[in-house]
Amino acid sequence: MLMVAAAAVVPLVAACGSSSKKSATINGAGSTLAAPIYMQWGSSVKSQGVTLNYAAVGSGAGVAQFTAGTTNFAASDPPLKDSEEAALKKGTPVHVPTVLGAITVSYNLPGAKSGLKLDGKTIADIFLGTVKSWNDPAIAKLNPGVKLPSTAIIVVHRSDSSGTTAGFTTFLSDYSPTWKAQVGTNKDVKWPTGTGAKGNSGVAAAIKQTTGAVGYVEQAYALQNGFTFAAVKNKGGQYVSPALASTSAAASGIAVPPDLRFKAINSPNPSAYPIVSQTFIIVYKDLCKGGMTSAQAKAMVKFLDYGLGSGQSVAQQLSYAPLPPALLSKAQAAVSSLTCNGSTA
Amino acid sequence: MTPLPALSPRRRRTDLLARAVLATFTAVALIPLVLIVYYLLHKGLPAISGHFFSSDPTGNFLGDAGGIKSAILGTLELVALATAMAVPIGIGVALYLVEYGRDNLFGNAVRYFVDVLTGVPSIVFGLFIYVTLVVSGALGSSFAGWKGSAALALLMLPVVTRSAEVVLLLVPDSLREAALALGSPRWRVVFRIVLPTALPGLVTGALLAVARAAGETAPLLFTATLVNGTTFNPGDKMNSLPAQIFSDVGQAQNRLVTRAWGAALTLVLMILILTLIARTLARRSRIT
Amino acid sequence: MEAGALATRDVPPSIGGASRARHGDQALRVILMGLAGLILALIVFFLIFLVLKAHPAFARFGVFGFTFDNNWDVAHAIYGALPLLVGTLITSAIALIIGVPVAVATALYLTELCPRRARGPLTVLVELLAAVPSVVYGLWGVFVLIPNLKPAEQWFADTFSFIPFIGGGKVAGPNYFIAGLILAIMILPIVSAISREVTATVPSEDKEAALALGATRWEMIRMAVLPYARPGIVGGAMLGLGRAIGETIAVTLVIGNQPQIGKHLFDQGYTLAAVIANEFGEAANDKLHTGALIAAGLVLFVLTLVVNAIARAIVRRGQHGRRPVPAQATAVAVQ
Repeated sequence: MLMVAAAAVVPLVAACGSSSKKSATINGAGSTLAAPIYMQWGSSVKSQGVTLNYAAVGSGAGVAQFTAGTTNFAASDPPLKDSEEAALKKGTPVHVPTVLGAITVSYNLPGAKSGLKLDGKTIADIFLGTVKSWNDPAIAKLNPGVKLPSTAIIVVHRSDSSGTTAGFTTFLSDYSPTWKAQVGTNKDVKWPTGTGAKGNSGVAAAIKQTTGAVGYVEQAYALQNGFTFAAVKNKGGQYVSPALASTSAAASGIAVPPDLRFKAINSPNPSAYPIVSQTFIIVYKDLCKGGMTSAQAKAMVKFLDYGLGSGQSVAQQLSYAPLPPALLSKAQAAVSSLTCNGSTA
Repeated sequence: MTPLPALSPRRRRTDLLARAVLATFTAVALIPLVLIVYYLLHKGLPAISGHFFSSDPTGNFLGDAGGIKSAILGTLELVALATAMAVPIGIGVALYLVEYGRDNLFGNAVRYFVDVLTGVPSIVFGLFIYVTLVVSGALGSSFAGWKGSAALALLMLPVVTRSAEVVLLLVPDSLREAALALGSPRWRVVFRIVLPTALPGLVTGALLAVARAAGETAPLLFTATLVNGTTFNPGDKMNSLPAQIFSDVGQAQNRLVTRAWGAALTLVLMILILTLIARTLARRSRIT
Repeated sequence: MEAGALATRDVPPSIGGASRARHGDQALRVILMGLAGLILALIVFFLIFLVLKAHPAFARFGVFGFTFDNNWDVAHAIYGALPLLVGTLITSAIALIIGVPVAVATALYLTELCPRRARGPLTVLVELLAAVPSVVYGLWGVFVLIPNLKPAEQWFADTFSFIPFIGGGKVAGPNYFIAGLILAIMILPIVSAISREVTATVPSEDKEAALALGATRWEMIRMAVLPYARPGIVGGAMLGLGRAIGETIAVTLVIGNQPQIGKHLFDQGYTLAAVIANEFGEAANDKLHTGALIAAGLVLFVLTLVVNAIARAIVRRGQHGRRPVPAQATAVAVQ
């Protein structure tokens, strides 16, 4: 037994030194909203010698692990709170916006089509548990002429700390004072009702498997699984379905502060889908002081350059909206400002 | 005890009913096994292909999802490393308990605490390693394969120690005494008589511990975590079959779920083979 | 084999080599003692460490506050673990209620009623359930049990809605019952193995006496086997309980992860083990949250400790005046 074990260990130890000299590995964790596009970018930059290890654990865990120093970058949909920034020990953070993603309100209702009209207050009531079945008068009122079944509504939400939750609850708080008072806005809230699932993919899976379910998932997941989703009333009073055009419209017209920490939820643009989330990759300004080797720093910059370059059109294939030109150049400027021990990375 | 009255129809009925109930419950106990095997084959076989075993998971949202190569290799490495850590120490502790610690305070304390360790849920081991080794960034990296192995080794240790102690106790003292009487030193007795005699039982215990560790997910979740690429460096994050399955279960895409079933089938087969070898060994070499 | 081998293979060293032998003995003793001491130190460190790291949570909420407050609110940094504790207890109770009778019945059938030739293969089949890892049970639970049992569960909830907790409510998907059912299947091999070993040690004189007096097979089991085997069976059930309490992965996939005390059998819930698995990642940097999770782990650990200690005590006390259960059974079954 000892011999077998020893024999197994020896090649392991021998191979220790041979781990990838050619490509540098960057470790990141966070947003499941952006995970599909980051993974896609990751396989595209492999040929440039960059290996991406991305763990889609949710924005909250991503920020926590970045702060704890176990990853090189964090992927978070909401920008860092002041308290989160104060907890960073290795330098100042830089927020690099990457794409915009629409958060759909997807439902599993056999016979129902996409485009069921819902407004912020009704959605909040559904997630509060006060609207309990699909043929509730509140829903019927918004959808005259649509035959709604009496199926019970089963709410699906996130069980982990999530940027998608932060975006969704921001939207709900804007339209429902009850929601704002009772539950509030956060990456992690105390849900009044429903089943918890891990990650955007978990929520998608739960919606897929449960008749009568409703949940909030990023558009890529909804499209991948053929979900039906709602047309949500935006600030201008229009019922808008999530689509590439309406998602892109959300970013134009929003004030972007100099440190790029903007929020795209409930955009004032009249043709915008109201639940569009921004998402950031957060790194230390001085990548090497933040813990990367110089090879990793170069790889990180390559990855970000790709993402903000040809990656933007790749994003559209997955239904993420590219950054509008003004914001894009600001993002690229932020990447150029990244350093490694003082010199440009 | 007064003799019971002659067999009445009522007693006969009760007897038949009870027997039927017991037989039915036994059949019921076997239903889950049948169902699990059925679904593993039904849903897992479609996933099996050359590509399944030869490519790593890609993580691509669209296009090729990849196979489970890194998961299989990772499980083999993590478990091998854990075995190398746990088995020698476990057998060593068991040897102490049997040769020197049968009835003294220290031996009893060790025995008691090892028993305590048996009942610890596997996730608490993972949490312990996470907080002591991962977050503190001990010895360089954060998440690492060898830290996952350490968590698994903690899990295996009490199992190996317990079963080794039982087997070593079964080696008749008369053997030991005979050797000692002939002038052989204690250490020779241990290495030339006791261990070889107990070897099949020790191997069985170790194999069962290995089978248990191979299927554990919780300790690996926050030590070796989940990563797509294959790596042979224990200092890197390492993939594993249970972690891969756990990740794919929560996915909505059908091809990922199918991959989970295929990986589950692979894992169960690996564990089954280990368990059957262990039990055959045990049956073959009953120490009388 | 032994004596002959000794004579020819292991010719003992002459008395002159005694000092070398003494060094060897000394070395062995020291090494083994050191090893055992190391393990002892490790375990003690492990326990102390858990308590230390859980301190922030206990300091903020008090030991009783943490364990018995009904409010697990991560967003507001309030950690009261009662919903988790209740969820753990409910799922374990379901596991016992469903699993123990089936396991004991299986044991009785295999030892008393089964045709001899079928005994071996059937025993192996029951034990094979132990070879299925937890994550595979979870996978199977999510895609096979949950969808297929939903209609039956809803019928049950509707038909028995007059019984508090057992009936009523609507069935969403994952719930306490499914988690308890899977746990029952997982503890089946352990409880069955121990019950089997215990019923096998019933003295045949007792059984034959009952039969000789005219008892039917079932009456013989009821009068001779069960009373004798009861402590061992109870001990086995408690060991199964200990296993069910600590089970993480299978449960977190099928319980719904809702940190509230569900009002119905088919509501979503949460357990101590599941919360650790789900929340550790985001707690990485938050001392209070990490402390709360470790405190949950500590509560879990204390629970399993108490249950296992009671189990061992029952088995040991029950063996007063009875034949000892082969130690292999408990050692093997407790993995």
